[in-house]
Amino acid sequence: MQKIDFSKPVRQSPKGVVVIFGLKSVQFVRRFFVLFLALGVSILKKNSFANLGPFAITGIVALIIIGILVYSVLRYLNFKFYVTKDDFHLNTGILNKGNIVIPKSKIQNVNIKQNFLQQLIDVVSVNIETAGDDKSEIEISALDRANAKRLKEALFTSTERNVDSGDSILNPDVEDDKVFFKASIKRLLLEGISENHFKSFLIIISFFFGIYYEIKDYFENLNLEEQLENNINLVETALLGTFLITIAFILVFLVISMLFSVIKMLVINFNLEVIEHRKNIEINKGLFNKMSLTLTPSRIQNLVIKTNRFKEWLGLYRLSVKQAMVNKKQQKNFNIVALNAIQLEHLVAKLLKTYTSPKAYLKPEVYFKYILWLRLSIVFALLNAPAYFVIGNHFWLLNILFLAFTAIYVKVRYRKSGYQISEDFITITSGFIDSVTNILEIHKIQSIDISQTNFQHRRGITSVIISTAFKNVTIPYIKIEHAQHICDLLLFKVESSKKDWM
Amino acid sequence: MFTNAQIEIETLPKLEEVSLQAISRKYLNIILINKFIIFAVVYGALFIAKMFASDVLFTEYFWYLIIALTLILILNLVFTVLAFNKRKYALREKDVIYSKGLLFLKTTVVPISRIQHIEETRTWLARQFGLASLKLFTAGDSGTDLSINGLTTDEAKRINDFLSAKIDAED
Repeated sequence: MQKIDFSKPVRQSPKGVVVIFGLKSVQFVRRFFVLFLALGVSILKKNSFANLGPFAITGIVALIIIGILVYSVLRYLNFKFYVTKDDFHLNTGILNKGNIVIPKSKIQNVNIKQNFLQQLIDVVSVNIETAGDDKSEIEISALDRANAKRLKEALFTSTERNVDSGDSILNPDVEDDKVFFKASIKRLLLEGISENHFKSFLIIISFFFGIYYEIKDYFENLNLEEQLENNINLVETALLGTFLITIAFILVFLVISMLFSVIKMLVINFNLEVIEHRKNIEINKGLFNKMSLTLTPSRIQNLVIKTNRFKEWLGLYRLSVKQAMVNKKQQKNFNIVALNAIQLEHLVAKLLKTYTSPKAYLKPEVYFKYILWLRLSIVFALLNAPAYFVIGNHFWLLNILFLAFTAIYVKVRYRKSGYQISEDFITITSGFIDSVTNILEIHKIQSIDISQTNFQHRRGITSVIISTAFKNVTIPYIKIEHAQHICDLLLFKVESSKKDWM
Repeated sequence: MFTNAQIEIETLPKLEEVSLQAISRKYLNIILINKFIIFAVVYGALFIAKMFASDVLFTEYFWYLIIALTLILILNLVFTVLAFNKRKYALREKDVIYSKGLLFLKTTVVPISRIQHIEETRTWLARQFGLASLKLFTAGDSGTDLSINGLTTDEAKRINDFLSAKIDAED
């Protein structure tokens, strides 16, 4: 494979035409999906569409394909990029020419990705992210792997040399490119099984009902609904029957959502590995969409560690690395799953050098419990009305369940919530089913809020909301004097330090 | 050089000791005018509806509706006036403080070093009263930007200049 000289304007690999063509075709089909559906149905029914014969339809389809192909070629020809000492340059656009310059110091991530099509023709796409909004993201869709890696290095080099020239001399003994962690299929399976299935349960249910309503008309044509209704009427006579059917229904959906979680976990995190470089870490993963992400410690805003009881027992932890304003979809890619406790500790230490996890946490005031009780009680009190209509006179029995749930919920939430502020870090724990630990560096703070209601004001209780460029974290319901101390201390640290947030 | 001196929290500058400054009283006029416009539209819509409505139920309860709306208006006005006095701000050497809220009190502090850019806006109505708004953008979540409404034009300009100079000095 020839080496590309990135210092002069270059095009991507000619295979890029194929990738752009594939991408645009998918986009096209997706955009006119309804039209295609109508077309398909119409052809099935009448063997024609909008009075067009099969010949004309073939012609139109061919024209569209040629159109997309021409567009792809033009886009490929007009897409040139090069790297100078400090900046990345990109010239793009067929009619509306665009010229994008990104200073290397503002590049947040360089990701190498490979979707299914790219795997077939053996190219990768390079994705350059800045801390701007989603639109400022740049994607070079076809390079061979070796050149992609070289481009990535070229983009990272000068910044590192500028920023920490002294550091490399201090740590010459750190090994290069050590594969630090590899998730086995077994651990991924365990991770998938021990997920909180409630979420995928909701997705599956809504998906099911979504589809059901979409094709309802179709069902009506088949008179299926009438039959179904007849069946239901039959069952409705026996209350026990309905009950059993509901239970069976829920069980089936639970199994499906469990499978869904496990398969999703396997597909996304297939062959997950974490590689330690001198300055940063690299994450590789994916079955159909392979990706390689590089994390630079200075770009991290928050670290979130998640586990639950079951996972903790299995020794499974998930580390999510949160950065500034990366789009939601991308944010999910920075999850490292199936870590064990030792690996987790090592990674956290790698990303946040001086961090030590707190031995003990400070607790919120007991007022937190009252608030939780109040909130849940209101919700459940309101639920009584629909419960009456569904169950009838014995609806109040449900409140016993509600009370039991609330008692457990409040107890667990309170037990899991805590916070600790050390020299450079804030650690906040929370969660109900999950145990969530949120770590942030104090100099990454963007702003601080002290927030309280009038009632809390009279009781001298307040919450402190700490914002970073990723999002807010809250220290809930603490004493006002304490909150003020925290505020003063954090502001002092932020304002007296020369460290920037990025 | 690494130093690790102990920090005496009691000696740190205290947030609660900062004397916050009220915004211009004239801004209350703007809030009230906006409120009256909204309520005038609702009243107007009700009266027009009464003229054309044939629904008996609606005409029968029309005056109750008006009374309810008036009560809401009065309550709203009382709250607005009381809450207005809670809108306060302060500048310190290294941060900007803004606090507001009657039922939900909130004090926001933004370190000047974290301000990305400043936006000064003057709506038509604000211009009539010689007022301006300052919006301080940080890199934080979009909801965390700090806006100070109801500054006099002079004040807004002075604050803007002060902050801009500070931000420039740091770069």
